[in-house]
Amino acid sequence: MQSKASSFRARTFFITGAVFLGIVLLAFVMSLICSPYDPNATSAREILLPPSGAHLFGTDNFGRDVFSRILDASKYTIFISIAGVAIALFLGVLSGLPAGYFGGFPDRVIMLFNNSIMCFPGILLALVAVAVFGPSMFNVVWALGLVFAPTFARVCRAGAMELKTRDFIMHAKVMRVKPVRIMYSHILPNLMPQLLPATVIGLANMTLFESGMSYLGLGVQPPDASFGKMLADCKAYVLTAPWLVIFPSLMLIFYILGLYFLSEGIRVSYSGRSDS
Amino acid sequence: MPRHTHIVKVHHLSLAFPTRHDPNPEPVLKDIDFGIRDGEILGLIGNSGSGKTMTAMAIAGLLPEGAVITEGSIKFAGEDLTAMKPRRRRQMLGSNIGVIFQEPSTALDPLMKIGTNLDEILLTHGMKDKAERRKRVLEMLGTCGFADPEEIYSRYPHQLSGGQRQRVLIAGAALLEPRLLICDEPTSSLDTVTTIQILNLLKEICHKMHMTVLFISHDLSAVRNFCDRVMVMRGGEIVDRDTTQEMLLHPRSGYTAELLTNARLDTRMLGLERATVDYSASPVLVARDITARYDNSSSNVLKGASLEIYPREMLGLIGSSGCGKTTLVKTLLGLMPHGGSITCSDKQTGAVFQDPVSCLNPAHTIEWHLLEPLRAAGIKLTKEERRKRVASALQDVGMSPEYLSRKPRQLSGGQRQRIAIAMSLILEPSLIVADEPFSSLDSSSASEILKLLTDINRERGTSFLLITHNIHIVRQICPRVIVMDKGSVCEEGLTSEVLSDPKSDAARKLLHAESVLHGENYSE
Repeated sequence: MQSKASSFRARTFFITGAVFLGIVLLAFVMSLICSPYDPNATSAREILLPPSGAHLFGTDNFGRDVFSRILDASKYTIFISIAGVAIALFLGVLSGLPAGYFGGFPDRVIMLFNNSIMCFPGILLALVAVAVFGPSMFNVVWALGLVFAPTFARVCRAGAMELKTRDFIMHAKVMRVKPVRIMYSHILPNLMPQLLPATVIGLANMTLFESGMSYLGLGVQPPDASFGKMLADCKAYVLTAPWLVIFPSLMLIFYILGLYFLSEGIRVSYSGRSDS
Repeated sequence: MPRHTHIVKVHHLSLAFPTRHDPNPEPVLKDIDFGIRDGEILGLIGNSGSGKTMTAMAIAGLLPEGAVITEGSIKFAGEDLTAMKPRRRRQMLGSNIGVIFQEPSTALDPLMKIGTNLDEILLTHGMKDKAERRKRVLEMLGTCGFADPEEIYSRYPHQLSGGQRQRVLIAGAALLEPRLLICDEPTSSLDTVTTIQILNLLKEICHKMHMTVLFISHDLSAVRNFCDRVMVMRGGEIVDRDTTQEMLLHPRSGYTAELLTNARLDTRMLGLERATVDYSASPVLVARDITARYDNSSSNVLKGASLEIYPREMLGLIGSSGCGKTTLVKTLLGLMPHGGSITCSDKQTGAVFQDPVSCLNPAHTIEWHLLEPLRAAGIKLTKEERRKRVASALQDVGMSPEYLSRKPRQLSGGQRQRIAIAMSLILEPSLIVADEPFSSLDSSSASEILKLLTDINRERGTSFLLITHNIHIVRQICPRVIVMDKGSVCEEGLTSEVLSDPKSDAARKLLHAESVLHGENYSE
């Protein structure tokens, strides 16, 4: 049963989130089928043009069309955040569930690894990894995936520790269900109320990390665009060509806010549901 | 002038959960009209979902979100509670109206010592002097039957037993000397021996402090011992009300009579018939000198318990809380490391646990639950065979196939317990271990489950190990009984012999508690 107030709140969050995310997803789809210009084509005659009919969001200091670059950047931003979170989720679930379910020695070893990663600032660790292995998009993806994994591991471990004492898990043990199946088929689906919002928030945080790293020049490499990279490139023209800052920032804000609203909607709709 | 002054007067109260889609839903409480007289103990009985708790929470002002009083009023000592400002209403709680909840394990803050838990009650109600507060709390703990209040004061909730925690809660409620005490199923999670202690304590404290009590229960024997007057609720309406003696001896409504019959779990009325046991056959399970301990403790919970269960037998296992019954079940089911030997003729043993809420996985459908034992046992079936097997398992426990696609939260407690039984049955084990399968159910569901278990025993010849604190059930359906005390079996034999002439202290204590709670005539 879901109470009136919470289902209304959940719906509001979902709709707001969907509108924001819809804008970014639309950009992503357009980048695949109908980009008006080549996002990396430079033109010496069209440097720093303000928004107009020909260039919807103006052009940058190399004469590249900002609108096309934003469409292109949304592609990389979405890819990096989803791929990074997928890696983090995979590693987190794979290490967190056995740690919580078995407890004792396996738990101590697994959590030692996770905690060692957690005790460094995430962005520092990702920067070191990328600095060592060279800046490229794939290195960013796996480095961020590794940095984010302990968060998911902790969520899974805590959930498994709580659920393993419940009667339905005892019942499964009596039926001689194998531990792996108990973890992934009996426990994991019950962790969705915690894991889903964590995943969506993870996407948002991953995007912020990626933007930060691209801003520092260690993320997406030129000539490819990402929102953070575009902001970094226009540092010098903030006052003379503000459209270079405004449009990438807006897209970044839409994506992050959309994800936050979505995760809040998921959380509210789960908490409004009672199991008894 | 009326003969009795009413401390609470509920006047034509209706309550519903309106939503945007359905502004006029079926009310949860329908035109409830009753009064609680000053100083009396009023019992409120009925099956789960009959509106007992909702009625009490309306009086206490603790209604869940979305509940709206659509009609009527509640007067407390002449003041209308429904028209009162929320702030004033909150002040009433605790100082005028006290509440004791069902689950003593969750009602105390686990991070605070008992003393701090109780101290806070006085502090929030404006008692500034620390030494004074401590004195009052210790005094109250003493009144609530703790021999060493100082010791209890400095303990944490997890260091107390269920009965002790319930006594602490009573102490907490009584600290502010409320005029009305609402007890919402205070004894339903306790065993018989503890129930008696708690009821006696409540009675004593009410008498001493002139408290009025609204006592909600589905346990008729508790009501019989404790209440002056009883009201019966069904589907949000009060269907019957009378003095306790009149009600129990001459119920006026058919529904009350049915409740009473179910509560008595009378085998003749229910038509229970168990299988006949052949004691010369070789046992399905033999356990010898079982010892077991929990990881963090140094002493054994089980100290050499032995038992055997014969084919087609319903073996009863009784004992007070903490005697190791549940630990024994865990070792027999292979859930705990143990010493000693357990030999079972069948690889599969079925299990039914106490709590119908947590016995099913909330994330999966009923169909998934019924298929899981087959998958775990590695039985490969075609789609058609699977469907047949699942449907017949559901039918065996008296449910229709429409439930297959439902999630556990859409079922009632009794229905969930049926699914748990069906999950055990689907592999056709020769033994099912049932750990207190009735204790969280209301009497009607409990008698249905009991009937189901005996039917399975008779028709399929499945043996049962039935753990219960209801000696009455054991007497009715178990030919043989085992009494446990302090981790070992202290008495064992034919039920008729053990229960009529108990040799051990533990058995005598259990029987005494039962006779006090249920009355002498109840036992036969």
